[in-house]
Amino acid sequence: MVSDEALMLEFQRGSREAFEELFARYCGPLYGFFRRRLESQERAEDLAQETFLAVIRATARYEPRALVRTYLYGIALKLVAAERRKQKNTPANQSDAEPTTDDATEEALWVRQALGKLDAGEREILMLREYEQLSYSEIAELLCLPVNTVRSRLFRSRMALKGYLEPEMKSHGAVATSGAMGNTAVRTAEVRPEKDEE
Amino acid sequence: MSKHPIAEEELMAYLDGELSLDRAATAAEHLKKCRECQSVAGDLQSVSRRLMAWQVEPSEDSRITRGVTAVLDERAQKIDAANVGRRGWRDALKMPRLPRWVWGSGIGVASLAVLLLILGVFFFPRAQYAPTQLAQQRIGGLLVETHKTVAPQPAGLPELKEPEAGVTIVTKSGTDEQDGRTGGGGEHERGSSTVPAGPMIVRTAGLTLTTKEFDKTRTGLEEILKRHGGYVGQLNVTAPSGSGRTLNATLRVPADQLDATMAELKKLGRVDVESQSGEEVTQQYVDLVARLANARNSEQRLTEILRHRTGELSDVLAVEVEIERVRGEIEQMEAERKNLAHQVDFATLNATLTEEYENQLQAVPVSTFTRIRNAAVDGYSTVTGSVVSLVLFLFSYGPVLLLWGGLLFFAVRIAWRRWRRRNA
Repeated sequence: MVSDEALMLEFQRGSREAFEELFARYCGPLYGFFRRRLESQERAEDLAQETFLAVIRATARYEPRALVRTYLYGIALKLVAAERRKQKNTPANQSDAEPTTDDATEEALWVRQALGKLDAGEREILMLREYEQLSYSEIAELLCLPVNTVRSRLFRSRMALKGYLEPEMKSHGAVATSGAMGNTAVRTAEVRPEKDEE
Repeated sequence: MSKHPIAEEELMAYLDGELSLDRAATAAEHLKKCRECQSVAGDLQSVSRRLMAWQVEPSEDSRITRGVTAVLDERAQKIDAANVGRRGWRDALKMPRLPRWVWGSGIGVASLAVLLLILGVFFFPRAQYAPTQLAQQRIGGLLVETHKTVAPQPAGLPELKEPEAGVTIVTKSGTDEQDGRTGGGGEHERGSSTVPAGPMIVRTAGLTLTTKEFDKTRTGLEEILKRHGGYVGQLNVTAPSGSGRTLNATLRVPADQLDATMAELKKLGRVDVESQSGEEVTQQYVDLVARLANARNSEQRLTEILRHRTGELSDVLAVEVEIERVRGEIEQMEAERKNLAHQVDFATLNATLTEEYENQLQAVPVSTFTRIRNAAVDGYSTVTGSVVSLVLFLFSYGPVLLLWGGLLFFAVRIAWRRWRRRNA
């Protein structure tokens, strides 16, 4: 299997097939990244597309100093931050973006609710580790933190999440039907608003 | 001291596959035995499992793909167009394709060179060349260089029809040469203006002596000078504190007595430096004499004209003005000739007499108050001097620094923004 970095270099030399391979590998994960952090599915798709477009635009300047995966998620993190700033400046638009969670299970809702209670920095580390499957060093590079700090915060967030999830399991049916992390649709517990987002 | 050989965070890193091999072995071994750690590991794995319950709904791949494909198509077209363009001029010039850093470095070096050139023009002092107005005049086959400006011929000078007179011009070889005019009466006060028989040399010598008995040596020097018929042109004696006295004198000695004088002077002390030089001024003297003779002839002819001819008053006045000008030139040249002859007759001896310094115990040391006061005065002078220098510098170079600072500021800001955008 050709590595991501080799594909990127091939694309830099003009190979369209190499980029299509990269796109196939990362389209889903990047969409998932955005979808778990944004309320709107459309915006998640737009930003996933925007990430690839940013890569295309910056192809000439690409240097294989870091993993392509880190490079992609670095762009994605910046796009998410910009999107959140934009949403903060236009609060009226927030209510328009009701997530499509019709098929979300009850367990998924608990998880989102529990994640919403975590500190924003710790939640980001936990999600990058659990959902994006990034290594400690990759997370440290992305967030500009020491590896040991990443490990400590990850442990803290996992322990905290365990604490948040246990009562939910006990009070099994007290969850509202819909809601998303960062939105007030989940009624049984207070979901931390987006103000603590970075 | 904990009873666990590994910390809980390390246990988590072990479960995540992020622990180093040696620590991972320790963790695996401990985990087999420790129930407490097994419980923690179970909790951690449980959290991870439960997080996986949140799966996002599938995306509309076509929506993402459409935009990316469009941009890829556009990019491919641009690359094709650019390649065609690049191939065109490169093929025409048969130039290899150079990497961007080569172009960047070249442009950078060129910009730096231009900047240094401009800075050099602005900041380095320009050499001051004193304008020299040299007038060359050929007189009787000799080239004469002079620094003076010749007064223009008066506009009202009538066209004179003087009686023909033979003008004698002294050439370098000393032969007489007729300028084509015939007639008599050219000789005029030759006396000291005759051409010398031998070469005329202006001699200059230098002598630096060191002596223990300064006063005695000075007296000896004056006696020697008197005995050989010389005189003191200039004399300075300095006696700085902390070193011996120094006498600097310019002595004028008859040229034929120079060697004897120096021989006697050298006996007065230890000779540190001795030098001699000679400049031949024969040609300069001959030229001067020739110009002088011509000027005198002109003066004589003008005088004759004034004496014998009658005409209008304005014509007479014009001739008198011309006579006055010629006489002025004659006097100036005569002074130069005498000065030159004197330089030849009397050699210049630059004597320096230095006393060997013997340090003396200072009987009355300078008081502390005086030293502090002196230091304060020096400090004040230094501060005012530096402030004045700073102000002068700012006035001199401030505008240029401001101009370049402004230009560089904008250039750096643009570069910084581009760099940030690139790394965004």
